[in-house]
Amino acid sequence: MITAPHPVPEATVVSVERSRPRLVWPAWGWSLVGVLLIWGFIIAVRPGAPFDPLAQALSLAPFLVLVALGQMLVITLGPGNIDVSVGTIISMSSYVSVAVSVVAGPVAGLVAAVGVGLVAGAVSVVAILLLRVPPIIATLATSLIVSSATLLLSDANRAAADAGLRVLVNAKLLGVPVSALFVAVVTVLIALMFTRTRFGLSIVAVGQSLRAAERAGLRVKTLTAIAYLVCAAFAGLAGGLLAAFISPSTVLGTSYMLDSVAVVVIGGTLVSGGRPVPVGTWTGAMFFVLLSGLLNLVGWPVGAQNILKGLLVVTVVLISTASTGTGRSTLARLRASLNPHKKETTNG
Amino acid sequence: MTAPAVALRTYTGRTSLAERAKTAARQGSPALLSLAALLAIFAVAVANQPGILSIPGLTLMLMSAVPLVFATQAQMLIMAVGDIDLGIGYLVGLVTVIAATLLDAQPLLGIGLLVGIVGVYALVGLLVERRGVPSIIVTLGMSFVWLGLGLQLLPTPGGAAPEWLAAIGSWRPTWIPGPLVFVVLATVVGWYLARHSRIGMRMRALGSSAPTLNKAGRSLTATRVIAFALAAVLVILAGLLLAAQTRSGDVNSATNFTLTTIAAVILGGGNFSGGRALPVGATFGAVTLGFITVLLSLVNLSSSLQSAAQGLIVLAVLAGRVITERFTR
Repeated sequence: MITAPHPVPEATVVSVERSRPRLVWPAWGWSLVGVLLIWGFIIAVRPGAPFDPLAQALSLAPFLVLVALGQMLVITLGPGNIDVSVGTIISMSSYVSVAVSVVAGPVAGLVAAVGVGLVAGAVSVVAILLLRVPPIIATLATSLIVSSATLLLSDANRAAADAGLRVLVNAKLLGVPVSALFVAVVTVLIALMFTRTRFGLSIVAVGQSLRAAERAGLRVKTLTAIAYLVCAAFAGLAGGLLAAFISPSTVLGTSYMLDSVAVVVIGGTLVSGGRPVPVGTWTGAMFFVLLSGLLNLVGWPVGAQNILKGLLVVTVVLISTASTGTGRSTLARLRASLNPHKKETTNG
Repeated sequence: MTAPAVALRTYTGRTSLAERAKTAARQGSPALLSLAALLAIFAVAVANQPGILSIPGLTLMLMSAVPLVFATQAQMLIMAVGDIDLGIGYLVGLVTVIAATLLDAQPLLGIGLLVGIVGVYALVGLLVERRGVPSIIVTLGMSFVWLGLGLQLLPTPGGAAPEWLAAIGSWRPTWIPGPLVFVVLATVVGWYLARHSRIGMRMRALGSSAPTLNKAGRSLTATRVIAFALAAVLVILAGLLLAAQTRSGDVNSATNFTLTTIAAVILGGGNFSGGRALPVGATFGAVTLGFITVLLSLVNLSSSLQSAAQGLIVLAVLAGRVITERFTR
């Protein structure tokens, strides 16, 4: 059985896993299955031009992926870590980037957008580390402050995004949006950071065991600060890009708060921290974007779309927690977990 | 009652008065701090608008806090078992929608739906306990479901709450501010459920030390399921009271409840790790946050700046909590 030359059939996976893990089901596998399923449905509903829906999704997904990468960094820090301010940061930075780019050019606009994120992130970090406010409340307070600032900015600003930036964000290289390529590079860098750099490994260590990380001499506070700052900066950058892709608005980022968390979890990142899955943000985001595309295509009302979205998130979490015990998810683990008696013998 | 309660009683009985005062200050300080913030905000509001110190004035001031206090008690129960509910805001909105549509036209179906919500919450509790799924994500997912159901039932705000519900909302006794009665009622219910009843002790035990509760022969699953179901009942009450005040339904009418209830519980001395349920503190926290909104509109602060002021005040109160904790230690 160990020398099985072909991909292992389902029925024998259990015994293969016991002897030597050959077929390791990647954590983002389920979301990829979801992406392919939804893609299949879309093709079934609207035959012809099968790659069109993918191309459309690729132009919307990068922004969500960018926000989700930051959220993943924060969630990986461990239980209780979540950034609920990303949505309002996106809205605010969209206004700032537009206002700045009118005066000082598109690059300065994007830099300003990142700057907005960093300032907002700094407020959260001060609240979390100095005032010892739980992250969810600290980032909530930040988001309240940021949303006020957004309202003030929206009263003063009526400019449109810089034309140059607009062209760049909408540009395509060999059919793939430039923004998608850019975010793909960022994803690779984040993935390398988690596997190769001391910083990335330290964040994973903090997420796996805060106490052990402290005993090992890691600077937990510095790591926490950097994670929240990077998350807010990514949200700021996404806002700056979205300003050019769509247009600034006070509700531009609202849906990104919940969506970013959902995408991270669907992508296979452990919500309890300690295991980031950078690739999963792509499969998760594509799944989300394609799904709403499909539901719009078949004409589901917004209400029903939300119900399905919610139930899917819950189902995916149920499946993924059942199938991921210790950071490696396999079909075998899922099968075992579905059978309580077997579960005790294989996991215990 | 159970062993831990007896042990605690004899322990506190033997310690010196100074020690007890210190413990009380340390454990009660968050609630006291919330009370201090509440009084300070109230004083500023009275200084700005002396008319508040009348029965109608107090009624207006407290009205917005009534649904929030009920929802906060619900969040407190869920946080006592160590979970967080991120779906409360949309669920309260959904209940107002049900109240404004089905409860009037088809009362049986409306009541059936409300009972169904309690059932779904019990199921969420079951999944959290048995499958080990994080409550944050499950309730986040459920919040989409509540929003979707609300939009399906009533795509745009409207409808009309039934007569009896509107009558509750417009109840204005002359000798006491009506909302105060509801606020006290919510607190007493929360206190009874979390602090006085046996199930309350089991909930707090589940939050602070699940293995101990298990060894004591109590079902962890039953405890968590009951906690979630009771919380659902309180959330439904919050939604009905909100509909009684607004007399209409809107699934988006209480979106800020999700995070405000968590902030209120924390303000009132609760924590994220579970095992703690302070109903009086939670009420103080909720009323404080409700007052802040009223105060900010009283002092003619630009509406754009109101949420920033709310955020800064929450941070300030929590910062004060850190300082007092350090001081009493």
